[in-house]
Amino acid sequence: MNIFLYLDKGTWIHHLDPRTKMIGTLILFLICLCFNHPLYMGGISLGVMAIALSARALFNFWRVRYILILLITFSTVMWPFFAEGTTPLWSWGSLRISEESLLYGIAMGLRLATFVATGIILLSTTRNEELTNGLIRLGLPYPVAFALSTALRLVPTFAGAAATIVQAQISRGLDLESGSLISRIGKFIPQAVPLFVYAIRHTNLLAMALESKGFDPESPRTLYYEPRMRKIDYLTLILLSGVLVISTYMRLGLGLGIAMPGRM
Amino acid sequence: MGVAVTFEDLSFTYRQNNRPSLRNIQGQMEEARTVVLMGHSGAGKSTLCCTLNGLVPRFFRGQYEGRVLVKGEEVARRKVAEMSRIVGLVLQDFEAQLFSTNVELEMAFGPENHCLPRPEIEHRIHRYLSFVGLERMRQREPATLSGGQKQRLAIGSVLALEPKVLVMDEPTTDLDPQGREEVLSIADDLREEGGLLLLVDHEPETGLRADQVWLMRDGQVVAQGTPAEILVNLSLLKSCGIKPPPTVELFEEMGWPGRPLTAEKATSLIIEQNLARPRKLKAPASLPNAGGPPVLMAEGLRYVYPTYQIEALQGIDLSIREGEFLAILGQNGSGKTTLAKHFNGLLKPTSGRMLIHGRPSTDYSRRELAKRVGYVFQNPDHQIFARTVKEEVGFGLKVLGEHPKMIEKRVAEALEVVGLQGYEGKVPFTLTKGERQRVAVASVLAVQPEVIVLDEPTTGLDYAQQRNMMEMLRRLNRSGHTVIVITHSMWVAAEYGTRAIVLKDGNILLDGPTRVVFSDEAQLARASLHPPSLVRLSNWLGTQAMTVQKMVEELREIPNPNNRINPNCQCPTSS
Repeated sequence: MNIFLYLDKGTWIHHLDPRTKMIGTLILFLICLCFNHPLYMGGISLGVMAIALSARALFNFWRVRYILILLITFSTVMWPFFAEGTTPLWSWGSLRISEESLLYGIAMGLRLATFVATGIILLSTTRNEELTNGLIRLGLPYPVAFALSTALRLVPTFAGAAATIVQAQISRGLDLESGSLISRIGKFIPQAVPLFVYAIRHTNLLAMALESKGFDPESPRTLYYEPRMRKIDYLTLILLSGVLVISTYMRLGLGLGIAMPGRM
Repeated sequence: MGVAVTFEDLSFTYRQNNRPSLRNIQGQMEEARTVVLMGHSGAGKSTLCCTLNGLVPRFFRGQYEGRVLVKGEEVARRKVAEMSRIVGLVLQDFEAQLFSTNVELEMAFGPENHCLPRPEIEHRIHRYLSFVGLERMRQREPATLSGGQKQRLAIGSVLALEPKVLVMDEPTTDLDPQGREEVLSIADDLREEGGLLLLVDHEPETGLRADQVWLMRDGQVVAQGTPAEILVNLSLLKSCGIKPPPTVELFEEMGWPGRPLTAEKATSLIIEQNLARPRKLKAPASLPNAGGPPVLMAEGLRYVYPTYQIEALQGIDLSIREGEFLAILGQNGSGKTTLAKHFNGLLKPTSGRMLIHGRPSTDYSRRELAKRVGYVFQNPDHQIFARTVKEEVGFGLKVLGEHPKMIEKRVAEALEVVGLQGYEGKVPFTLTKGERQRVAVASVLAVQPEVIVLDEPTTGLDYAQQRNMMEMLRRLNRSGHTVIVITHSMWVAAEYGTRAIVLKDGNILLDGPTRVVFSDEAQLARASLHPPSLVRLSNWLGTQAMTVQKMVEELREIPNPNNRINPNCQCPTSS
């Protein structure tokens, strides 16, 4: 299975500078924090969906649909028990649910799902290397950025090796589907040890290959995918910042979009 | 012509080892040459490769004496990253070298490190991707390429640095014959560009392409010379653990004049000197044990990989009988491993049936399957986990719930079969690749399955280890086990398999006694395979033999034209 979310579609969002996309994602996160009323929050969620649509990233939403649904349901059901409102709706013993807390719960669910959705749009439209390049241009030291992106790259490699190892042990009669918790932990060793050995060997070889191709974390290098801020990048950032300013004003200045005062 | 590489009395001992891995290496390699480095495993070939770009002694520490000069630069004084401007190194494990998200970025990585301007990088990507024939794959993710393509990409990404010396450490071990050819043809192009190419390989056929052959044994270079000088010296080759060219062996055994290195040269010599007369090949009409009951049977077997929606098997009908020694041949990606994984139920047919002793594989429990069909994976390191060999080999029995006394007995038996008596207490991780491979086989054998499936059992082993492994499998086969081997090595299939099937694009292209399959050169070519040189010679001569020994016997039996028909041949004239 491919655990990478990148979809090679070439939309205008794909062509944005990775820095724009990363800062944009951050701004969207902040906008999400402005409201805790489901109507206002829902409007933001719809806006994010529209962005996802134009980035043609909906396939990835489908892939993580269970996570999204779980986040919304869980939050809607759980929050009302912890956040206390003023208009009681229903009570049972010491458990009380108020109108405000229910609305707040729905808004929180939408907010979490929108956080995830925004992240997915970023990963669906930006290559691993572009993210690295963007982080470097934003001032992250190259060795740190490189370590980050390499770690990400190794995940599928190790996942593939792990699958082979499991098959090899199953062929020897290892039964992974039954047994008590203790015996299952025991069965973990025949899988973990070969994977560990593989990981050490693999990273060692990778280090050799990198050095042989002239990689030196201390010396400067060119970036083939040179990030470049164009007009559309600035426009996007101005637009998103505008929405953030307006949202903040609506919340703080006009007091709109609040289901439960005193909470984020 | 200038000198590219000079070794001056070079010795090297790895830090943890007592024994030197390289001893007093002397010699020169010139520009615009191809040098092939051969030797047994552990002879120091890879270490020598690593001294050229400074991985030894900079990455692998140890005691380093003498000098290596590349283009006049003393390697040990430079950083590996600096040496990458002169020396390109393609490592043996090509999977580990690819880490970018698409092909063009993989190609760009080296030039980026050298701080080249973007238009120059663009130019090099274009140039070297066409050179290795991957121009159309630019946006593909490396993980989705075939084995041959990945290897070519690994080579291309090093070529993009435009090294004056290119070193490739066993670039073809995991590849099918076509992939090998693709990679080796790059070598020919490269020589025309004027660089030095150093190639490590086991196959004598690769040596034929070289200008120079260096033989290594126990850390020393024991011979340097042209292929025509080195590859005809059979005793020298054997002492270095290298498979001698079979045509040379045949001519020597027969006492014929000339030492031909290829089947083509051999045929022309035979014609010129009238050494033997070709006749029509009479192939055995049926398999040796056609009457035995079928153990494994595939009926209209289809398999679609769920994540990629690729139909890997497109309707396989196959019946494997008790006591067969079956070789499964085919290109990378033809479905060999997918088919074999059905034999022990690791994969379940998308449609059709896989029968084991007449019962569908899906009806068996995991434990029952493990007892009936053993499966040895290509890489022993994917399964070795235990602290001792004994524990490793007994693992299968333990999970099947056998009595400790019984386990002890079976482990001892299994170790004896694979020739590792007395290894019980050793730590498996410290053994050589060949020994680890045997531990993996023993751990499957200990359960005593009727059928043993092995995926590429000879990959990564040197000639002596390959022989050992295959002789052991033959003994197992003779003692009643059905043995199924997936292999790219044509000579292994020819010498050991009683039956061969050839897969192409998820279908069975050829199926029959190995001799018959190998005589159909036209069909084999459709699957991008071709028989080893000795078998091609045998096809031309019309002999049954697929080994030098048998061929000598057969040719001696027909000394005069009056007695041309083999008296021992009991094959029916009409069937």
